[in-house]
Amino acid sequence: MKAFDYLKPDAVPAAVGALAANPDAKLLAGGMTLLPTMKQRLAEPAALIDLAGIAGLKGITLDGDTLTIGAMTPHAEVAASATVAAAIPALAALAGGIGDPAVRNRGTIGGSLANCDPSADYPAAVLGLGATVITDRREIAADDFFLGLFETALEADELITAVRFPRPLRAGYAKFKSPASRYALVGVFVAETVAGVRVAVTGAAASVFRAPAFEAALAADFTPGAVAGLSVDAADLNADIHAEASYRAHLVTVMAKRAVAAALE
Amino acid sequence: MAEGTAPISPEGAAIGRPIARDDGVAKVTGRARYAADCRPPGLLHAVIAPSRIARGRVTAFDLDAAMAEPGVVAVMTPANRPPLAEDPDAKTAPIVFRLDLLQDDRIRYAGQPVAVVIGETLEAAEEGAFRLAPAYAAEPALVDIDAAEPFVPETVGLGAPVERRRGDVEAALATAAHRVQRRYETAAQVHNPLEPHAVVAVWEGDRLWVDTPSQNVARAQRRIAGLLGLPPDHVHIRSPFVGGGFGAKAFPAGPQVLGILAARLVGRPVKLVLSRAQMFGAVGHRAPTRQTLRLGLADDGTIAALAHHARVASSRFDDFFEPAAALSGGVYAAGAVETTHEAVRLDIATPVVMRGPGEATGSLALECAIDEAAAELGLDPLAFRRLNHADTEPISGRPFSSKALRACYDAGAARFGWAGRPLAPRSLSDSDGRLVGLGIGTAVFPSMMFQAEARALLRADGAAIVELGAHEIGQGAATALRQIAADALGLPLSAVTLRTGASDLPDAGGAAGSSHTATAGSAIHAAGTALVARLAALATADPASPLHGAGNAVLFAADGALHAGDGRRDPHAAVLARAGLGAIEARGAAAPDRAARASHAMAAHGAVFAEVAVDPDLGAIRVTRLVGAFAAGRIVNPRLARSQLVGGMIWGLSLALHEAAQFDPATGAIANADLGAYRIPVHADLPFVEALLVAEEDTLVNPLGVKGVGEIGITGTAGAVANAVWHATGVRIRRFPIRIEDLALAMPGREKEDDA
Repeated sequence: MKAFDYLKPDAVPAAVGALAANPDAKLLAGGMTLLPTMKQRLAEPAALIDLAGIAGLKGITLDGDTLTIGAMTPHAEVAASATVAAAIPALAALAGGIGDPAVRNRGTIGGSLANCDPSADYPAAVLGLGATVITDRREIAADDFFLGLFETALEADELITAVRFPRPLRAGYAKFKSPASRYALVGVFVAETVAGVRVAVTGAAASVFRAPAFEAALAADFTPGAVAGLSVDAADLNADIHAEASYRAHLVTVMAKRAVAAALE
Repeated sequence: MAEGTAPISPEGAAIGRPIARDDGVAKVTGRARYAADCRPPGLLHAVIAPSRIARGRVTAFDLDAAMAEPGVVAVMTPANRPPLAEDPDAKTAPIVFRLDLLQDDRIRYAGQPVAVVIGETLEAAEEGAFRLAPAYAAEPALVDIDAAEPFVPETVGLGAPVERRRGDVEAALATAAHRVQRRYETAAQVHNPLEPHAVVAVWEGDRLWVDTPSQNVARAQRRIAGLLGLPPDHVHIRSPFVGGGFGAKAFPAGPQVLGILAARLVGRPVKLVLSRAQMFGAVGHRAPTRQTLRLGLADDGTIAALAHHARVASSRFDDFFEPAAALSGGVYAAGAVETTHEAVRLDIATPVVMRGPGEATGSLALECAIDEAAAELGLDPLAFRRLNHADTEPISGRPFSSKALRACYDAGAARFGWAGRPLAPRSLSDSDGRLVGLGIGTAVFPSMMFQAEARALLRADGAAIVELGAHEIGQGAATALRQIAADALGLPLSAVTLRTGASDLPDAGGAAGSSHTATAGSAIHAAGTALVARLAALATADPASPLHGAGNAVLFAADGALHAGDGRRDPHAAVLARAGLGAIEARGAAAPDRAARASHAMAAHGAVFAEVAVDPDLGAIRVTRLVGAFAAGRIVNPRLARSQLVGGMIWGLSLALHEAAQFDPATGAIANADLGAYRIPVHADLPFVEALLVAEEDTLVNPLGVKGVGEIGITGTAGAVANAVWHATGVRIRRFPIRIEDLALAMPGREKEDDA
């Protein structure tokens, strides 16, 4: 592993400033992807800017029907939070199913979203709930945030500070997980909100995406049976050593059914 | 994993006792010292640079960059590798594999070592290996068994016939009332012992000390001495503990020799440990197979013809052909039977023996085909197997030295609850809506034996040391062999020390072919018998002995004393004390009985029953129960034997459902070279596995009557699991491991099932 500099700023402006001054630097949140990537030599940043020293990036608050989770909040805290469990139980359940205990204690929601792994769980919840990503300089709607494979709307020196979730009427998440990594081979987040039904699919394609046909069917009839006959086009989906596209398409339907069933529980 | 129910009568004070393994506490407390734990003074660390391409040449290294890395001491390439006395591509013995020891710039498979970087620290060596950045002239590589041109090799396995026939299969097929023809595919697999290959090499002049895991220290000594041009007794190999081998450590692998050469190059002790990713490269694997079974069936359910043809893969530069069809000559009675092989050459590392080489993959295909034949006839698969029980070995007509397979069917079926199983598939489900199926497979594994020697030393205090270069590879050999030694010497277990795992000790044969207890144990038995005879001679000739004048023939040794059978006894220690001897020693040797083996077929048998539950939406398969009943001659230690059998059954489950090394057709490299993507079963995959021991006496197989339990558990199990999946779903998947996507996507359209 190549040598690198290590910075630990104590405020958001300092972190952003360090990143702007050093284009080859990387922000370090939980490091659950970045550190193994560096170990595998897939990334060789000149410096790591550790966000762990910045107060205020961590924490969970509920204000009316708006749940706000700080970017540096680890998955385990979200999973164990009574506030999250009361407001959006599907979100707590999703966080509790990410990776393994070590990953959940280190990995953060902000890190997961900024990394935008095609198989990550959080993007499904953020897009499925129509959440808002808050950064050091602006607010980005979920529908505008996820652009592609490991690609987001974030600017090069932009830092996620929190994520704001509207409380849904009901929601559910189901995923078929890799037996080793627990990444979603396919994960489907289903939410019925005051603004309508949203269905977000992760793991299946280059990036998380919404399934409009599923949303329309569930808007008319919010039951597992409503989506049982629907499918997404396998031609748009990932194929790799873990699964072929046709099986991923099959899983989208099965996981959508199970997510609806979970939402109805 | 409950205790089995079938009783094994104890024979002797130690043999037959289910004692815990001698090395258990040392292993769980970390005191057991494996090769990589050795840290001689002045130790340097060596790291292999593996090839990223599968075929071509290395055109350049960035030696300056590698040497510039702080802590890098040397880079070993073909240009400066110390000379060898033998060409590593030369066939210097009947069973020797070609090694890649930096003899040239040629690349024959992905993962082949192309250089070794030696550093003061592991980190420095790793960084140096990365900075070395080999440049390649790549050529197109072929890694697809289906795309290569087949040929018929001269032999399969380690010298077995490529074709065997008895009767006229084609004629019997032509006139059979029913015919079943099916093709099955198995994937390449990688041994993946918990302990990777490791070597710590220390040169002292022209003497070499090597700590390295080995399943055959005598063979490793000969090979390494030959390559280095040293007298064998100048090469001291120590292998007290082996963290699993499964065949990958049966022959010294190239990286182990490279570690020794690196130590030679730098003139200091060197440690070289393969990474997990590198375990998917130069240390052998199980080749993929394509197998076609053809069965001709009579209306009464008997098998008129059985033909098993296997295509297997080897490397382009050496020969190891998995004998996948051979087992079918010995399992089911058939009017006519033939086993044939063809092979292809690919740009892969040479495959090597891997637990149940041939038997594992061949049994999977055979047991599926037998099940499909039973379904064709509308017969219960167990009843069909009983109906076609082979009373003599079908391919040779020889009688079996012993065969308790019917008792295994009885015991396994009773324990599992086979009776009442509905004949039709997709008949059962559980409370979670999962489809439930029950399957069976017959287990069989040949009872091999090799040559071995041992020596026993009895001290004046009545304690004994028994020495031989046997191998504790996790299977429990050290414990079982000490039990055999105690009974052979007539001593309590507490008075017997066993020394194993070094090439300086008598050659005990290899831990391979499920033969180690039979082979090494027979040598110990011979040494113990010889020592007791010397002791008896001393006693009966000594007027002061209570046994004076007693004939040798009526004496036996037990509880640390010689006994005349009429109440007279003389303790071992007393005999030595009166004779004024500090110790006496005896040697023993064992070898297979050629005459008995020519006239009799010798094999362990078993019956394995599997229950699976399949998620009808996902195709996800859970094995919910595995019950095996095995008859393997005398069982030296039921506890360790069950552990071996259960371990084998887990391998069988894994063969059916989990393990596949996936070669990337673009690069020729294994794409899933880690334990995340190469799926090995974990405890969560194994809810309940039970091995029953069925009593069996065999007076022909060897003096101990031991058949071996190391590999038989794989056979039968893989087929039983596959057959249970069919019974659960009605879908017959013939490509292994069964992929859940194949199962899930086939389920709605069962009528489209391809019977080709």
